Amino acid sequence: MSTTGIRPEDTMSDDPRRRAPLVTGSPTFSTVTEVICRVAEAPKTPLAWYVAMVVSGAFAGLFLVLTGHLLVTGVGVWGNNAPVYWAFDITNFVFWVGIGHAGTLISAVLFILRQKWRTSINRLAEAMTVFAVMVAGLFPAIHIGRVWVVYWLLPYPNQMGIWPNFRSPLLWDVVAVTGYATVSALFWYVGMIPDLATLRDRARHRIRRLVLGAAALGWRGSARQWQHYEKAYLLLAAVATPLVVSVHSVVSFDFAVSIIPGWHTTIFPVYFVAGAIFSGLAMVITLLIPARAFLGLEDLVTIRHFDNINKVILATSLMVGYAYGIEVFSAWYGGGHYEQFAFLNRAYGPYWWAFWTMVVCNVAVPQLFWLRVFRTQVWLMLPVVLLVNVGMWFERFVIIVTSLSRDYLPSAWRPFTPTWVDFGMLLGSFGVFFFLFLLFLRFLPIVAMAEMKTILPGSDGHGEVGQAKHE
Amino acid sequence: MPQSPDPKRHWRSLEELADTPHFRAFLEAEFPAADDPGGVSRRRWLQLMGASLALASVGGCYWEQRELLPAVDQPVDRLPGKPLHFATALDVAGAVQGLMVTSHDGRPIKIEGNGAHPLSLGATDAFAQASILSLYDPDRTRRVVRSADGRAPQSSTWDEFERFAREHFGALRDRGGEGLAVLAGASASPTLAAQRAGFLAAFPQARWYEYEPLSRDEEIAGARLVTGGALRTQLDLARARAVLTLDADLFAEHPAALRYARDFARSREVAGGRTSRLYAVEPTYTITGMAADHRLALRAAQVASFAQLLEWEVARLAGLAAADGADDSPAEDPEAPPAPPYDAAVAQLVRAAARDLWEHRGESVVAAGPRQPAAVHAAVHRLNAMLRNVGETVHYTEEPEGARPAHHEALAALVEALRGGTVETLLILGSNPLYNAPADLDFAAAFEQAKVRIHASLYRDETGRRCHWHLPEAHFLESWGDARSFDGTYSLVQPLIEPLFGGRTAIELLALLRGEAVPRPRELVRATFASIAGEVAPEELDLQALWRRTLHDGLLAGSAYPRQLPGLLAPHRPQPPPPTELDRGLPAGGEMELVFCRDRSVFDGRFANNGWLQETPDPLTKITWDNAALLSPATAAALGVEADTRVRLSYQGREVEMPVYILPGQAAGSVALPLGYGRTAAGTVGGDAEAGVPPVGANAYRLRTSEALAFGSGLTLVPTGTPYRLATTQDHHAIDTVGLRGRARRLGELIREAPLDEYLAHPDFARHVVHHPPLKSLWEEWSYEEGHRWGMSIDLSKCIGCNACVVACTAENNVPVVGRERVLMGREMHWIRVDRYFQGDPEEPAAACQPLTCHHCENAPCEQVCPVAATVHSREGLNDMVYNRCVGTRYCAINCPYKVRRFNYFHYFGDLDQPGNEVANMAFNPEVTVRGRGVMEKCTFCVQRIQNARIEARNRRRPLADGDIRTACQQACPAEAIEFGDLNDPASRVRTAHNDDRAYGMLAELNVKPRTAYLARIRNPNPELSDASDEHDRHPA
Amino acid sequence: MGEAIFPRWIDKARPLLGAGLVLAPVYLVAVAYYGGSPRTTTVGYMPQQSIPFSHALHAGELGIDCRYCHTTVETAAHAAIPSTATCMNCHEQIGATAESLRPLRESAATGEPIRWIRVHDLPDFVFFDHSAHVARGVSCVSCHGRVDRMEEVYHVETLSMSWCLDCHRNPEPHLRPLDQVTVLDWVPTEDPEVLGARLRPDLNIDPSTDCSTCHR
Repeated sequence: MSTTGIRPEDTMSDDPRRRAPLVTGSPTFSTVTEVICRVAEAPKTPLAWYVAMVVSGAFAGLFLVLTGHLLVTGVGVWGNNAPVYWAFDITNFVFWVGIGHAGTLISAVLFILRQKWRTSINRLAEAMTVFAVMVAGLFPAIHIGRVWVVYWLLPYPNQMGIWPNFRSPLLWDVVAVTGYATVSALFWYVGMIPDLATLRDRARHRIRRLVLGAAALGWRGSARQWQHYEKAYLLLAAVATPLVVSVHSVVSFDFAVSIIPGWHTTIFPVYFVAGAIFSGLAMVITLLIPARAFLGLEDLVTIRHFDNINKVILATSLMVGYAYGIEVFSAWYGGGHYEQFAFLNRAYGPYWWAFWTMVVCNVAVPQLFWLRVFRTQVWLMLPVVLLVNVGMWFERFVIIVTSLSRDYLPSAWRPFTPTWVDFGMLLGSFGVFFFLFLLFLRFLPIVAMAEMKTILPGSDGHGEVGQAKHE
Repeated sequence: MPQSPDPKRHWRSLEELADTPHFRAFLEAEFPAADDPGGVSRRRWLQLMGASLALASVGGCYWEQRELLPAVDQPVDRLPGKPLHFATALDVAGAVQGLMVTSHDGRPIKIEGNGAHPLSLGATDAFAQASILSLYDPDRTRRVVRSADGRAPQSSTWDEFERFAREHFGALRDRGGEGLAVLAGASASPTLAAQRAGFLAAFPQARWYEYEPLSRDEEIAGARLVTGGALRTQLDLARARAVLTLDADLFAEHPAALRYARDFARSREVAGGRTSRLYAVEPTYTITGMAADHRLALRAAQVASFAQLLEWEVARLAGLAAADGADDSPAEDPEAPPAPPYDAAVAQLVRAAARDLWEHRGESVVAAGPRQPAAVHAAVHRLNAMLRNVGETVHYTEEPEGARPAHHEALAALVEALRGGTVETLLILGSNPLYNAPADLDFAAAFEQAKVRIHASLYRDETGRRCHWHLPEAHFLESWGDARSFDGTYSLVQPLIEPLFGGRTAIELLALLRGEAVPRPRELVRATFASIAGEVAPEELDLQALWRRTLHDGLLAGSAYPRQLPGLLAPHRPQPPPPTELDRGLPAGGEMELVFCRDRSVFDGRFANNGWLQETPDPLTKITWDNAALLSPATAAALGVEADTRVRLSYQGREVEMPVYILPGQAAGSVALPLGYGRTAAGTVGGDAEAGVPPVGANAYRLRTSEALAFGSGLTLVPTGTPYRLATTQDHHAIDTVGLRGRARRLGELIREAPLDEYLAHPDFARHVVHHPPLKSLWEEWSYEEGHRWGMSIDLSKCIGCNACVVACTAENNVPVVGRERVLMGREMHWIRVDRYFQGDPEEPAAACQPLTCHHCENAPCEQVCPVAATVHSREGLNDMVYNRCVGTRYCAINCPYKVRRFNYFHYFGDLDQPGNEVANMAFNPEVTVRGRGVMEKCTFCVQRIQNARIEARNRRRPLADGDIRTACQQACPAEAIEFGDLNDPASRVRTAHNDDRAYGMLAELNVKPRTAYLARIRNPNPELSDASDEHDRHPA
Repeated sequence: MGEAIFPRWIDKARPLLGAGLVLAPVYLVAVAYYGGSPRTTTVGYMPQQSIPFSHALHAGELGIDCRYCHTTVETAAHAAIPSTATCMNCHEQIGATAESLRPLRESAATGEPIRWIRVHDLPDFVFFDHSAHVARGVSCVSCHGRVDRMEEVYHVETLSMSWCLDCHRNPEPHLRPLDQVTVLDWVPTEDPEVLGARLRPDLNIDPSTDCSTCHR
């Protein structure tokens, strides 16, 4: 399709006199619908999908088995020890919550900022968010010693006559993460309603029609419905926007509020939020590249999208780098020798390799995005974003493990060695994530069709849709 | 199970139930604590997990129906659930401690020192604390075992054995006991001695051999050399101002260690201005070495030369003092031959020490350890005489063991007899020669010569498994007996529980073999008591009353041996040794010295099956569940040996492979080998070949020969390079430079120390080590001015790091034992740990130790972060840990700056739910919840003791007095280093400690407001040497 | 295809739907809460004992003092269950042949303890001390109810943590003169609050709600 009509390079034009188109080729309302529905309606599923499902399914299964093992045997199956009471478990939690940030950023923040280009990718990003948060939520739940009383973290009236401790950041965490999960799931679903209706209307099989019909909540597409819908969507966006900032700030309190040298610092909230968006967008690109290629979305998801996201990645990378610097500076400037040691120990102690991996992946590598070619060439940006994902996992590992393994009393210092279960569950968590994501790709509208149609050239009513305007 | 209602046997019912299926139900009914915090035993947690998700508030109500089993006839003198205390005594290889045992509903559950006993003064050592676990050890022999030659051992009964004995020993008696030999361990029991006499009277031809792998033979011989008599040295360290030990661990290994530790601690009081000074010369680091102001590492063989040199120095001072008559002005003597050029450190120390000792003559002490040959002991006696300490700080009493041959000679004689085939019946009482006999004797082979071998012991050990009869011996808490402690104080041993496994004491057994139909141990003891009472208190007419009093008090007043004033034999002209003998470099030709040590965890191996002791980290090496060849860093470097690897040790053609541990302060060229490991028939804890349980550690006895019982030269050590990780609780593998610098930077702040003079100049120096901005709390702070305010203080000047507190805490608080693998994972569970740091030159480091418990911070970081409020503050300032509320996020432990919280990563007591472990369950303290999986735990300041004391006091409408409440660690501490009490009580000991100038709060700059105050350690270096050991440079080794 | 789009009447059902969505969780919580509360699970629990011992008879009609059998209540944490011997004191004569007392006689003969089923059973992590209460003016009634009227003993109170706390936070109404502690039918002549307030000082009552008071 992209051979005729709008050429990819047009989308990159920064000519102020005319707004660059957000899609390529000569898309019409119908072609958009076709392209998107094709994936969900394809009578026979592509082999690649099955292969991917088997692989991710296997890891998801591994995750379930290991979780069972953990619940039956005890947290001891992990490598956690004294003093490293938190290790992979919380590292994974923070990592996945971080991933979960891009979705809301793109869908809510960019929506409110009228960044129309978000339309082609927000559905995907939101799905990613929902699944990432689901995976993230698992870890705090299973990492506690007595999972069967996990509900004690919730404030509910009970015969013991006591409440949870509202001073504990962990409690704030529970609230923040559950709230975030609810809102982003809701946002995702509400955004999908018109598209589900479209699928419903195109459905041939009766069962399929009924299921989609129920999911579409009887959407008719009447003007009145649209009016309510737009309002609701805008409101949700307004609700979700502060969450982008709040969730990871609260997560960072788990560390910032403690007295552990290397944790106890006020920059954490900012630093964590930036890092979260950083890693989230990197993950978006990681998912977008194959999805776009396999599902033939080249026209809807253009190079311009990558370019934009990569610019944000570059910006957040700089913020993260700045945070690293400030941490060290304030440790030195603060003059507390425990704090100073914590950072020396990160860089030159037993875990130096983790620290430098983090710095290279999160600060050095993304600088390549100063070069346009890296921002616009898929095969060049892919390794960068993959490294960013790695780097961000290591960031959490460094913060948690190196700080804990050497805090105040040298007599209590002890290195941490992960067990195979630790690695198994790390990989497994990716399995669960991709398993869910693949299901989404196969059965749900992966791009917001209805919204897409509002950004097609000429969808403003001037000239016919599908005919790119050339001066 | 019929039972006679006999009030004197009130512990019966329990013993009867011990093996019935109802026992568990009984336990749960009577001792609710014997379950996990969820109130949910392992068997049940899964179903409950499902249920409790729906039913929030059920939390362990009627998940199972429990039964109440009232006693059929409740003895009048006892209330269910009220603990009773009984005095008794523990005799370990002839060394006696007076004990006070707490019994809960007929179960002895805790051992304390007997405050009235002169040698324990209320304190205990780790072994005594742990002996309670041995009582309930399921691996103890449960029945008589008979194994005829060539046939598999089969379980038998006492009746069968009695039938056999009647006939066999009847025959022997007719032959006058010809061909009968008895091998026994050392014992301090007069009754046993009497039985032995009676036995030998009944079997005149029989021979009696006494063997202990670790004995005081050389000490006895040394005394004989100088005095001609059998004399025992009694030290009075309380009065000593200058003490010098020659390879002697007075505070841990001496039979009177508890008393000596206490006296020394008292003599360190800086307040009085009479602070004593301690010099230690030793091949390997000991408890005493840690406490010393000056320590010199010398190979064991060189200690003799050092003694000789010291004697020469002192003689010079004494000689010329005598010459110019003016006693108190020792000046240099121009005619005296100048000392030949010795190793600088040695020369310096010897001169300074000599002057110091001389200046404090009459108030000084020189002591040598059992490892040193008689000659050194002789020198020590002469030194004490020259220093006019005899009768002042050094006293002599008769040596009851004077008559017997040296232990290894006795064993050699036995082997001789066995080889000669003159022994056909061998009766072994308690000893385990197949494990601990000198290797060169090849006891195992000789042993086979005896046609009938009978072994009575607590465990069916290496020896027991090769005997025709193995008889279960009664644990001392199950026995009637008696014992005389080192100073002669006579104590009675009374049973607190019926023998759980039908064991009998050696006393009973001997009486039985002598032909008594029904031995009545109580009567036998009573008889001995009568005779001793006759000597000690002839005026006492009412023997019954005296007997009762002795039982009650735990000792017979005035039964200590009378002191004697012996004269020295020949006058002695000391000569300085050739300097080469005191060269501290590595010996030429890589011929290492090997030094055998008594292990601080398993003694000589007899405690190998005791989990509490195995898991207790060694005070110096911090190794648990293992032993290792100890090398100094320089020696290791010279031999190319790396930490965490194994080496092959060969000595006189015998080889042993074991891991190495690089111990700063080990004498160069000397390799220390802790004995007591590598047991193959200890039990499921210490190693059991038959059950497929690998031994713990390596057996150093395999290298031990008759001529090198203590130490020897000619050891070759070859690195095998095989990596091996020792399960240490501190300093895990080689630490990087960043870490070293970080540690060095903070050490001075954590453990605050000063030499005496600096302290006298600035008494409050400890308060000025760390300066911080004013501390502001985020939260409104609670005022503790009202009511009680529990606090603790730990005096680092007194603490000797002996581990008694650690084991006491384990026993009191049901602290789980996790095993080597989990210690390696970093999951040890001790509520109190003793941190050990080295400072200064790695070859001659100073060591410091610091006990660490929960500090019960008033502004506790752990409490703020717990999401479910499972750890909160009591109004009296206790940092309560509520196991049953804990969900196990571990956040509290993370936020604890002292890292004293412990997490149950697994269900460590899981197996105790399984049938067959009822007996092991009896060791639990019913006053303390047994924690289950997934909950955090930590030191509670023994809150159960606080609560019970408070309830008691309130019921009686009287206030709590200082000392009513003593924590387990405080009570066990021989040095009185730990004080606990009410900080709001201005008169309390803990308050005075907190007010002391030396008091400081560790990490107080974090504004956690710790309730535990440390009292800075004051070292008392000799001014002449103070430059040599600069207290201020702290390069951690 | 129309079938997949919601029909008109759905709009009417909407309020119902809304109501349902709101009420369902409330209902579930209520069920879980009341279904699970000790008031439901615990109160009224009355196991069948091996001997149909009637407190109504002994403590009620015969007026035997609680402490005659439960000897240790004032001095120990446990309220001892009477030993067989205690029962036999009377039952050697009285009802010496009664069928219902066979287990008792067997126990006396064989030395096998009588197997009573525990009625008031606190979780194992709770350390309750009878002496601390009974010796300080808290009556048996407060926790066990009018045992002197029970044929078979049953659970009257919930013995739940909040129930304990209620009294620990406000002990006055439950205090009485020491000599009245075991008099189950005693009723204060004045307002219990006032009486309690007067008794409190000399009974030395200062109940704490610290966790370690009951959990060690």
